[in-house]
Amino acid sequence: MKFKKFIRTYKPFTRAGMLESVQYRANFFCFLIGEIMSCFIMFFVWKAVFLSSDSETFMGFTMEDMVVYLFITFLTGYLTYSDGTYAIAMEIRDGSIAMRMIKPCSFDMCFLFQELGNKIINVLFIFAPLVLGVEAYRWAITGECQFQIQHFLLYVISLVLAYLISFYFNVSYGFMAFYLKNLWGADILKEVIINFLSGATIPLAFMPEILADVLGFLPFSSLSYTPVMIYMGMYSGMEILSRILMQIFWLCFMVVLSKIIWNHAVKRLCSQEG
Amino acid sequence: MRRMLRLHRIFVAQYMKNLMEYKVDFLTGAISFLLGQAVQILFLGIIFSQIPDLVGWDFNEILFIYGFSLIPKGLDHLFFDNLWSVGYFIVRKGDFDKYLTRPINSLFYVIAEKFCVDAFGELAIGLILITYSVIQLKLTITWYMIPLFIISVVFATLIYTAIKIATSAISFWTKASGHITHMFYMTNDFSKYPTTIYNKFVKNIITYVIPFAFTAYYPASFFLTGENPLFCIGGTVLASTILFAVSVLIWNRGIKAYESAGS
Repeated sequence: MKFKKFIRTYKPFTRAGMLESVQYRANFFCFLIGEIMSCFIMFFVWKAVFLSSDSETFMGFTMEDMVVYLFITFLTGYLTYSDGTYAIAMEIRDGSIAMRMIKPCSFDMCFLFQELGNKIINVLFIFAPLVLGVEAYRWAITGECQFQIQHFLLYVISLVLAYLISFYFNVSYGFMAFYLKNLWGADILKEVIINFLSGATIPLAFMPEILADVLGFLPFSSLSYTPVMIYMGMYSGMEILSRILMQIFWLCFMVVLSKIIWNHAVKRLCSQEG
Repeated sequence: MRRMLRLHRIFVAQYMKNLMEYKVDFLTGAISFLLGQAVQILFLGIIFSQIPDLVGWDFNEILFIYGFSLIPKGLDHLFFDNLWSVGYFIVRKGDFDKYLTRPINSLFYVIAEKFCVDAFGELAIGLILITYSVIQLKLTITWYMIPLFIISVVFATLIYTAIKIATSAISFWTKASGHITHMFYMTNDFSKYPTTIYNKFVKNIITYVIPFAFTAYYPASFFLTGENPLFCIGGTVLASTILFAVSVLIWNRGIKAYESAGS
């Protein structure tokens, strides 16, 4: 009964999110093409690197691994991306956050379900084409089908966890706007740091061992590196289990953190306008 | 022209006041940009720790090309950043009327209104990389290199600006075109690396269709090797002039077609 009510409360937000992304689908595709272009640049760079190198592998990665890494990292980054920071910061800046607080629904759940609507559309349009493309490439290069259903399913689980971590992290970060008022700079800083620490720009395997180990324990590797490595089949069974447990731990941590910051920040809320 | 320069100074001063309101914000933005570039260069470093050269260019030469690509990008960012807002929201919100009712050229007004100091990060890193790689490579600088460098940078900047003018002018018909600008603008990343790494199709696109290759690789390769000045520098000037003329044409056509979306 409670669950039913829960669904009934938040379904409209999901619907709104879906409609929103469908309405701006031309923008969405232009944006996507622009972003995917950087994957192709890196593809050509790696091709040239492997041409210039005498060895078949680059620090343990073959060309084929590198391509899978590039595109699956892009896909993971795209699907786990959460707009929470920006949305919350905007609402705090223009004061409309006050309106959210008087509504009979939970603050973070509204955002979550709205974004989920958006994600459903994204999954429909880019998830399947990218995965199929990557698998077709692997098949063409190695001559046999490399797709493994168990890795794929574990990847999906890890991806969902990664998205939720990303969401709660961004919510916590967005609440900083209560203290900073304007988050433009801090938002860019966050992107750069996360892209680096999560292994999205440079695979953690290319970093010095100590640094890679430390980064493996931080929450950021849970955002991108863990799901991608699972997809690529780089982890053994036990490793997968410990990695997913680590993701669950960081998810709980982020949820609690966001609640603490929220409770603290609400007390000093000072609406700037409206 | 004099009046325009004076107006430009006033606009810049106005914008700086705006920016100083959020000082911390600006600083963190600048720091994160520097960090982002550092990561990119670290990445190149990791690649070159495993291979001696990339399609015939060594680490320092790649740094030179990379650094060169940041200079026109930074200059365009510094002076012409407001064009982004035209496509993203100025036209859609109906705010473009303001630019048409003032007694100055609308394109100039849009451009002069904003002066984007974040671009100093790009310019600084570009200059540092160029200086560092020139010293490492022990390049001999002949006197004519300097005017050629300035010419190629100026025209390369105009390539960026022209692409932004043309794509943001689309919003005069469609109300919003920020994402089209974004799509075209992102192609500039191709220019950071030698065009020889790409396949024929990509190479032709970035040379003849969206000529970003002329904003970095072609002119930079001339300064590195001294070969092909006619194509490398002449091509930059030619591509940029044509593109800029076309973009101004599109802008003026767009202004005629513009209908306010305002309330």
